[in-house]
Amino acid sequence: MVLRNGYQERVRRIYRFISENFYLNRPDLEVKGEKYNSALLFGILTALYGGKELIIGEPGLGKTTSAEYISCLIYGIPLGVIWGSEVSGHPEQTEEKIVGRPDLGALNQGKEVVVWSNFVQLPVKIVDEINRLPETKQSMILDGVDRGNWEYLNEMIINDEYALFATANYQDRGTNTIIAPLVDRFDVMVESRHPGPNLAFYIGRRSRFDNPLRHQEFEERYHKLLRSQIPYKEKLQGLEELSEVFRDYLKEKVGIESLSKEERFSIRKEMAQMPLDLDANAFLRMVLAELSFCHRYGQKRSVEGCPEGCHYTGYLCYHVKNCASNRLPISVIGYSQALAWFLEDDEVDLEHVRTVLPFTLAHRIQWRDSYISKKEGEGRNDPLQIYLAKEATEEIFHRYTEQRDYLLDALAIASRAFEGEAVEPLDGDHPIYEEIKKEIASLR
Amino acid sequence: MRKVWPKVRRNHLFPQIPPPQLVESDEEVALEIKSKQMTINVNYLQVLTEKMNPEDALQALLDHGISHYMYCPWDFNTHLMLYSEAKKVLRDKRLAQKAASYFMDVVANTYCVKERETKIPELYRHLPKEGIQRILALLYQVIWGIDLGAQGEEESIKRLSRIPYLEKRLWKESIKKFAKTLEEFLQKEMESEQKSSKKAQNPLGEHSIENYTLEEIDKGLRDFASSVDDITEFRETVEDLKDELAAMGYTVGGMGRGAGNPIDADLLYYMKLAENYTLPIKKLPMEKSGALHPHSHSPWEVGKPVQDIDPWTSFGKIMPGLTQTWVRREGEVFGEMEKIPDCLIIIDSSGSMTNPRERLSYAVLGAACACNAYLKNGKKVAVYNFSDAFRGNKLILDFCKEKESIYWAICRYFGGGTAIDLNDVMYLLKQAEKPDIFIITDMQITNLEKLIDFFNSIENRVTAVHIGENIYATRFREGLKQKNNVSLFLVKDKEDIPKIVLGKVREYFTSPF
Amino acid sequence: MKNPFEEFRGQSTRSKGKELPLDRILKAKEETLNQILKGYENLLKNEAKDLVWLMQYSTVIKAYSIAEEAIKGINYAAEDVEEFCYVLDKTDQVPYLITGPAGVYISALCNNAQEEEIVLRLQDVGIKINLLGYRLPEGKRLIIEGNVGDFTGISLEGGELIIEGSAKNYTGAGMKKGRIIVKQNVGFNTGHGMTGGEILVGGRIKGLGKVVGGKIYEKGQLIFPSDDYRPYYF
Repeated sequence: MVLRNGYQERVRRIYRFISENFYLNRPDLEVKGEKYNSALLFGILTALYGGKELIIGEPGLGKTTSAEYISCLIYGIPLGVIWGSEVSGHPEQTEEKIVGRPDLGALNQGKEVVVWSNFVQLPVKIVDEINRLPETKQSMILDGVDRGNWEYLNEMIINDEYALFATANYQDRGTNTIIAPLVDRFDVMVESRHPGPNLAFYIGRRSRFDNPLRHQEFEERYHKLLRSQIPYKEKLQGLEELSEVFRDYLKEKVGIESLSKEERFSIRKEMAQMPLDLDANAFLRMVLAELSFCHRYGQKRSVEGCPEGCHYTGYLCYHVKNCASNRLPISVIGYSQALAWFLEDDEVDLEHVRTVLPFTLAHRIQWRDSYISKKEGEGRNDPLQIYLAKEATEEIFHRYTEQRDYLLDALAIASRAFEGEAVEPLDGDHPIYEEIKKEIASLR
Repeated sequence: MRKVWPKVRRNHLFPQIPPPQLVESDEEVALEIKSKQMTINVNYLQVLTEKMNPEDALQALLDHGISHYMYCPWDFNTHLMLYSEAKKVLRDKRLAQKAASYFMDVVANTYCVKERETKIPELYRHLPKEGIQRILALLYQVIWGIDLGAQGEEESIKRLSRIPYLEKRLWKESIKKFAKTLEEFLQKEMESEQKSSKKAQNPLGEHSIENYTLEEIDKGLRDFASSVDDITEFRETVEDLKDELAAMGYTVGGMGRGAGNPIDADLLYYMKLAENYTLPIKKLPMEKSGALHPHSHSPWEVGKPVQDIDPWTSFGKIMPGLTQTWVRREGEVFGEMEKIPDCLIIIDSSGSMTNPRERLSYAVLGAACACNAYLKNGKKVAVYNFSDAFRGNKLILDFCKEKESIYWAICRYFGGGTAIDLNDVMYLLKQAEKPDIFIITDMQITNLEKLIDFFNSIENRVTAVHIGENIYATRFREGLKQKNNVSLFLVKDKEDIPKIVLGKVREYFTSPF
Repeated sequence: MKNPFEEFRGQSTRSKGKELPLDRILKAKEETLNQILKGYENLLKNEAKDLVWLMQYSTVIKAYSIAEEAIKGINYAAEDVEEFCYVLDKTDQVPYLITGPAGVYISALCNNAQEEEIVLRLQDVGIKINLLGYRLPEGKRLIIEGNVGDFTGISLEGGELIIEGSAKNYTGAGMKKGRIIVKQNVGFNTGHGMTGGEILVGGRIKGLGKVVGGKIYEKGQLIFPSDDYRPYYF
C-alpha cells in the first residue's frame, strides 16, 4: 500500500510548473490515462530515484535545460549553483576540472589539500555532451556516480545521494561514441524533442532575464560554502540548511514546494517497497529471457552470431547481438516502482513496466542489421533506437498475452520444484521455459 | 465511462489504445473502431440500458472492442489472411468480407467469455437477433452454454460449434469451414440487402480497413506478402481492397501522399516482399584527417617524455600524480559523399524466365532488393528489361529515383526470345558514373559471346546471377573468369537469389568505389 | 539458495480460463478423431505392409472388413468423417497416406454412420481420394462436394452417391444397384462390370468399361444400353 503523504502531489506540481514555464514541450507518453512528456517525466523520476539518465536530441532542444530545472526544484538548489556545477563535455576535460584539484597554496607548502569541484559535492550531477568526453573521462564519471565515491590525491568524499543527467548530441563531427560498457550504465535514455513551431515561437518570446529560480544572494552563499575547507559532512548539513531557506523562498515566490533531503530519502524508501504484481513480474522475466537466451550457445554473446535455422528465430534473441546485462532489470524495476509511486498506484503493474521498459532498453540493445533495416523506414515519432525498443516491447507483450496463464502456471510449478517437490517443469516454446528448466536442473 | 474504462483496461492487461469516445448517432450500431479509436453510440447504449445495467453494457462493448485489438485480428495481416481464405471458399468479395467480419466477432467474443470476466453474454441476450445475428446467437448458446432465447438451424450450428475458434494457428482452416457453413445465410443476407437497399448492421461494428492506421496497413501488407503462397493470392486480395486502400490514402508510392496512381497489386507484392530483404542505410564514413591535434590529458609518469606536458593543467609542477601530458590524436572528418555509385539492373524476361505477374519470380525479387538498397542510400537505378531486344521486346528506364517506375520496369514480362542489345546497355552506362551492374538471367542469350566481350571491356562492378547450370552459363563463366570486377553466381535454388544479391550489395557498399 | 520463483508460490495451477462447452465439444471431437486415426493406422498395419497396397478385388474386400472391425465401438458423426478427410490432407498428422486404404476406410465410416444422409465437403482437400462410396448400402445417401479419385462407388449396394465435382476412372465399377450422380466429368472404364443401378453424369464420360447391366446417362442422354454400347458378357 503506497503511503499517501502528499509527496506525489508536490512532485506533480513541480512537473506541471516546469512544463508550463520552463520546459515547454508536447506530451508524447500516455500512462494510466494521463499524458506526459517523456523527457520531463523520466527526468523527474531520475532525480527522485537517484538514477542515471542519458538525454539525447538535436542541439538546442532543451536537453540540458530540462535536467537543470528538475535538479533545481527537486533538490532545492538555486539554478546558478546547478549551472556552476555542470561538467561540459570536451576533449580537454581533466580530472582536475571534473573531480577536484590540489589547493595550490597548500601544495607550495608541501601539504596535500584537495579542493573538490562542485560537481562531486552536489548530489545532482549534470554532464553536458558526455559523448564529447574521451572514454577515460566518461568512465571516471560513471564509476564515481555508480559507487558514490570520489577520490583524488588519497582523499575521498562519499555522496549519500546522487543522480546523474548526461546529455548527448547525435553522432556528428567532433563526437566520440559512448562505448557499450559505458552506455549500459545509464538507467534510461530519453529524447528531448522539438516542441513544435507554436511552442517554439512562445519559447522565443520569453524573457531571458527574469528567472525566478535564480537568486544571487543564495547562489553566493552556496558557492562560499562549497568552496570552504570544512569537512564534507558538515558541508552537507550547511547545504541542506541553505536549501531549506531557498525552498521557503521558492514557495513564496512561485508557490512550489521543493523536497528536503529527508523527504527524498523517504520517497526512495517508499518506492523501493512498492511490490510488483505477478503480471509485471512474469512479463519482465519473459523480456529478460528473450534478450539473454541462446539455444545453441547457452547465452547471447556479442561475439557469437546467431545461426540460421534456429528454432527460436521468431524471438528477439535472434534479432539482437548482445546479451542483456544485470543492470537492465535493476533499471526497469527501479523506474517502474518510481513511476507507480508517482502515479499513486498500490503496486507496480504491467502498464508501468511496459511504459518504462523501452527507455531502459533503447541504449542497451545492439540490433542485427537485418532487424534495423526492416524497421528504419517505418513511420515513427521516436528516434530509431527508442522506436525499436518500443516495437520489441510490444512484440514481447503480444506473446505474453497469448501465454500468460501458461507462463504463470510454469512459474508456480517451478517454485514448487525448487523447493523439492517432485514436479516436472512445464514445456513451452518460449525461451523462458528453457531457462526455468535450466534453473531446476541446476538443483537436481 | 470513467469508472468502467480503467477496470476494462486492467482486465485486458492495459492495451495501448486511447480512451473511447462517446458520440450520439442514429445508426443502429453500438460500437465503432477507426484507427484504434473506439466510439460508443450513446443513443444505442441508452436503448440497451433499458434492459441491462448501463455499466455492464458499457463494459461488454469495451471488452468486445479491446479483444479485437488484443486478440483477433490483432493486426492487418491477420485480417487479410482471414479475408483471403474466406474468399477462396465463397468466391465473392462482399460475402468474404462479411464472413471474415463475423468470424472475428465470434473469436473475439469467445476469447473474452473464456479468458476474462465479461458481460458479453448478457449483452447478446439483449441485442437484436435477425439474419446472421440469429445464427451467431444460436452458436453462442451452444459454445458458451447460455440461453440467448434463439432456436433452430441445428445442422449448421452443429458444424459451426466444432470449429476451434481459439486456436490461432488453425484460423486459416477454421475461417474456411466457418464461411462454408455460413454461406447460405450470408447469401440470404446479401439478397435482403439488395432488395431493401439497406445494409445489414452489425450492432458491434463492422470490420474494415478503416480499423487500422496507415502504418499498420503498410506493415500488414508486408507481412501478408511474405505469408501468401503465391502472387495471385496477394493480387486478388489487394485488388479487392484497392478502392478502400485508395480512400485511406494508401498508394504504391507510399503512405499519406494523397491520391496517387491506382494501386498495381503485382508491384505492391514485390515491393512488400523485398522489404523483408533489406540492408540498413549506409552511415557516413569517418576518415582520418592525417593531422595530429592535442585531444585529451593523461597522467604523466616518470620516464615519459616531457615535451607534451601541459603546464597549465599541471599547475606548473612536474610531479607524478599531478602532472598531465597531452595525448594527441588524428582528427576525423566526414568521408566522401559519393561512395556508392548508381545501379543498372539488367533483367531477362524471356520465355524461359518466370512471368512475375503469374508466379513469384525470384529474379524480379532479387532485382527489387538491389533496387531498394540503392534507392535507400539516395542513389539512382536504371533498368534494362530485355527479351528479344532486336525485335523491340525490351524496356529501357533511365536512371531515376521513382520506385514505382523502377518496379514497373522490373516486373514487365515479354516472354519472347533472348537477345540483348548492347547499344542500349552502353547508352545507359553513359548516363551515370560507373554504375554497378546487376544482371539476372538464365544465360540462354543468343548473342552471349558479344555480352561476354562487352563485360570484358568494362570496369564497372558486375554481379551476374544465372539460374540453372547449362552450357551457356559455363561459357559465360569461362569467358569472364579473368575479370576481378565480375562476380558470377550460379543459383540452383531460386530462393537464394535475393540473399545473393543483397550479399553483393553489402560488399559493394562497404568496399571502396 | 533463494527461490527465484518465490513470488509465484501461491499461484495454483489452474486450467487456462473458464471451461466452455466449446472446449468439451472440441475435446470430444479430438478424441473421436484419434480413435478414427487409430483405426486407420491399424488398417495400414495389417493391409499395407511396406506401404504398398495393391488394388485388387480381394484386397479391397479384406481391407473393408478390417476397417469395419476397426470402427466398431467408435461413436462418430458425419462431421467426424469429414474431419478425418481433412486430416488426411495434412500428412504430418496422418503417418502414411495411401489413398486406397483411406478410401475404403472412409467408405466403411460412411456406410456405418448413424445418419442416413452424409455430406462430405472435400473441396479444399488437396488429394483425390479413391474408393469412396464403396458398397454404399440401400437407404444411405452420400453427397461429396469436390472431386474424387478412382473406383468411386464401386460395388454400390443400393445407396445413392452424389459427386458435386468430377470423378476419375472406374466409377461405379461392379455396382449392383443404387444410383451414382456425378455433376461434372468421369474418366475411363466407367461402369466396368456394373450389373445394375444407374450412373448419371452431368459432364463428359471419357470412356465406358465392360458394362454388363444397369443404365448410364451422359448429359441426360442414355448411352448404355444403346446401339453404340451393348451389354458385355464376361
